[in-house]
Amino acid sequence: MSDPGTATERGGRPNAELAVHLDGITKRFPGVVANDDVDLRVERGSVHALLGENGAGKTTLMNVLYGLYEPTEGRVVVDGEERSFDRPRDAIDAGVGMIHQHFMLVDTMTVAENIALGSEPRKWWGLAVDHDRIDREIEDLCDRYGFSVDPSATVDELSVGAQQRVEILKALYRGADVLILDEPTAVLTPQEVEDLYGVLEELTDQGKTIIFITHKLGEAMHAADAITALRDGKSVGTVEPDETTREELAELMVGREVLLEADSEPVDAGRPILSASGLTVEGNRGVELVSDIDIEVHAGEIFGIAGVDGNGQSELIDAITGLRTPDEGTVHFDGENVTSWSRRRRIDAGMAHVPEDRHEQGLVMPFDLVENAVLGSQRSARFATNGRIDWDGVRDHAEDVIQTYDVRPPDADADAESFSGGNQQKFIVGRELERDPELVVATHPTRGVDIGSTEFIHDRLLELRREGKAVLLVSSKLDEVQALSDRLAVIYEGEFVDVTDPDAVTEEELGLLMAGERPDETDARGRESTVDVDKPADGGER
Amino acid sequence: MRDDIERLLDRLVHASVVERVVISVAALFAAILVGGVLVFVSGGFASCRAGLDLAGATFCYNPMQVYYELFLGSLGHPLGGDWTPMNYSLATTLRQTTLLIFAGLSVAVAFRAGLFNIGTQGQLIVGGMLTAVTVLFAASYVPGGFVGTALLVPIGVLAGAVGGGFYGAIPGALKAYANANEVITTIMLNFIAIGVTSTLLSWRFQDPDSANPQTRPVPEYAEIPNLPFVGFSGRMDFSLLALGFAIALMIAVAWLLARTSFGYELRTSGTQPEAAAYGGVDEKRMTVASMTLSGALGGVAGAFWVLMQHGYWLENVPPLGFDGIAVSILAGNNPLGVGFAALLFGILSSGANSINTATDVPPELVGILSGLIILFVAMPEFFRMIGRRYVDVGDPAPVRADGGEADD
Repeated sequence: MSDPGTATERGGRPNAELAVHLDGITKRFPGVVANDDVDLRVERGSVHALLGENGAGKTTLMNVLYGLYEPTEGRVVVDGEERSFDRPRDAIDAGVGMIHQHFMLVDTMTVAENIALGSEPRKWWGLAVDHDRIDREIEDLCDRYGFSVDPSATVDELSVGAQQRVEILKALYRGADVLILDEPTAVLTPQEVEDLYGVLEELTDQGKTIIFITHKLGEAMHAADAITALRDGKSVGTVEPDETTREELAELMVGREVLLEADSEPVDAGRPILSASGLTVEGNRGVELVSDIDIEVHAGEIFGIAGVDGNGQSELIDAITGLRTPDEGTVHFDGENVTSWSRRRRIDAGMAHVPEDRHEQGLVMPFDLVENAVLGSQRSARFATNGRIDWDGVRDHAEDVIQTYDVRPPDADADAESFSGGNQQKFIVGRELERDPELVVATHPTRGVDIGSTEFIHDRLLELRREGKAVLLVSSKLDEVQALSDRLAVIYEGEFVDVTDPDAVTEEELGLLMAGERPDETDARGRESTVDVDKPADGGER
Repeated sequence: MRDDIERLLDRLVHASVVERVVISVAALFAAILVGGVLVFVSGGFASCRAGLDLAGATFCYNPMQVYYELFLGSLGHPLGGDWTPMNYSLATTLRQTTLLIFAGLSVAVAFRAGLFNIGTQGQLIVGGMLTAVTVLFAASYVPGGFVGTALLVPIGVLAGAVGGGFYGAIPGALKAYANANEVITTIMLNFIAIGVTSTLLSWRFQDPDSANPQTRPVPEYAEIPNLPFVGFSGRMDFSLLALGFAIALMIAVAWLLARTSFGYELRTSGTQPEAAAYGGVDEKRMTVASMTLSGALGGVAGAFWVLMQHGYWLENVPPLGFDGIAVSILAGNNPLGVGFAALLFGILSSGANSINTATDVPPELVGILSGLIILFVAMPEFFRMIGRRYVDVGDPAPVRADGGEADD
């Protein structure tokens, strides 16, 4: 660590002011050093960002602090006392709470039940749960930290942002003083991210300490009081946001210079590759999830779709890629009406698809990467002759993708489920983009992917566009759709509220469009963010 | 305590092939030990003329003798005098093994496609009857002797496969197009198979010369032939050719699953249906296709039961299809493992006969011994299956040591 003393020297305060001190943590796994002599000093009452790419060792380090892993070497000091946590329970007892990326909530139970789950106060000699006390305590917590959550709402009615607040409340309810947030913004809309920043500020004002794991520079710069960057398991420095620039930080994290702005020089759009008209998809109860959408994507064009998850993107994409039959409307691909074509035929015709759900769709988790490399092409002439798969060819292909897209660890024989999310994503994107497609339908192509690889994927998408391929891009990252798209549509409740030139709108305007404000209303209404939990999290069915 | 269990599961999940073999062998010995104690103690409650007198009680059963009969008896007592490899006990063992390979493969294929085919028994009944009826019908059109064998045996096996395949396709189609649970439909179809074949038998196919409910016997040259010189005699109802065919079919199924597009799609559908749909697999057609294949294998079991063991179809069908479920599970649904599991079942069933003839140990107790062995041998694999689910959720496996995010 280049500058280990920042936190203490700055204020000249003694060590006891450190809420968490990880001292020389090394964590080895067979064949891999995940953390190599990492120091981390987190000041009480501060927001400390842990920044690094996929595979840099951020989560491993936090799992050590949270008691999921035992460090190979080094000390864990919490509140000035050396600790050894054998399991999360010990960490929780010492006031360390962790909010995982995938929420650990029971969907069908109420907010109050979820918060108290596992540490319910009892009455009648332990025979019954003291619900009144739970409600009272949650109310107190909400008042103290300025949360608005209805304790009697069931979790599946809540938006993703509200579910996250429930997770935070759960940690606070158990007496956490140090909160670890693992990629907290990955699932949030821009407005929800703003709200989260507010929550973090409130928490630190009340003396809580926040460590948040991220690979997004902007967030670290915006929300943190101190940033520690990890690269290849080593700590490469701790800085304060106002002492540094995004470019410097990116270089620190990646180890080389990074172009933060994707460079999308205009290309002449060609013939329409994909054109859908009047697409309507109905859900189980006859609700229209996609209503009468027209879309046309040309050769040499990236068409972006922005929107809050659950506004019909999934169903629209399913209808286009052949995973679902639209109730009304037609899909034309390269001049042919493919509305009734099977998924198989569409793949063979040159439709590549980076799916929204990599765990369920994009990869077969218990299969190794070699077997996963042929998913979708198992009957294509490239890999199969007379019903036999050329596994040697598939293996070469898998290794190419792993190499080109920097999948780590580079082991084609490891099962898909053993890779981290970002690396799984890189592999899927690689497999789909190297299919030699006419049309790429990419849903959140860089979700969970570090900036080095994100840059590469963006370049590759732009390259395909230059080659005259059509790209339909769905992303909840506004900067991504804005930077890459030639045209940008905003989807809200199954309809396009606007199709614009991405360079002509600001992020704020987009945010409002995503919240369902029609373009003509945006000027009239001021910017109001809503912290309430009244919006359903997911209009979809999955 | 909890940590210990986790650690143990973790070790099991990550055990190497050698370790797994060692574990299985150790489990076998543990089962023998426990079973031996059980047999010995049970002997204390039985009454007999001669036994081991110990502490005032008489222990009637000798565990050593029981296991000697179970294992060596199933091979025809190779350590005794005048032993020939082609003996009746070994023939019984291998006959059972052969039939259970077909039945086990049938269940395994469906399992790999994510379908629980309890209907192998019904498919075997239907396939077996179609084999007998077809061969009886075709026999009047073909000459006898070698030509007859060369024509009628393949026709019979094919008929069994077609019958079983058709009977497996029904629950497949019901699952695919009417969303009917295959466990329930296959159980119901088992009963229907019994009823329909029995009705057909009394309607037209009953052998007029027999008092038993059975079809007329097929001509002798239509039965599965023995190998010249090294074969078991025809009276033993077993053919090495049949065992060879079963092993070849086993390898073919393993190859089909591992190397072909169809096998890949089948496994993907069974492992993760959504990924299969994403990869362009037509889920409905795959369900019908895999159930048809599974049924066809069950039908082949029926064909061999008819053409190798009896030479006719009879109403009293042994529960080979249900044993096939146990064989498949014991083999971890791996086609090559089915061979070993079927051999173990073959040994246990033939060895039980030996015990019954050579000792006074009651058949129920022998059944318990067999059950213990299957239970012990299957348990580590069973825990591996549980462990794989549990360990991956609770505690990331070391491979995840790229240090990356657990997710996203």
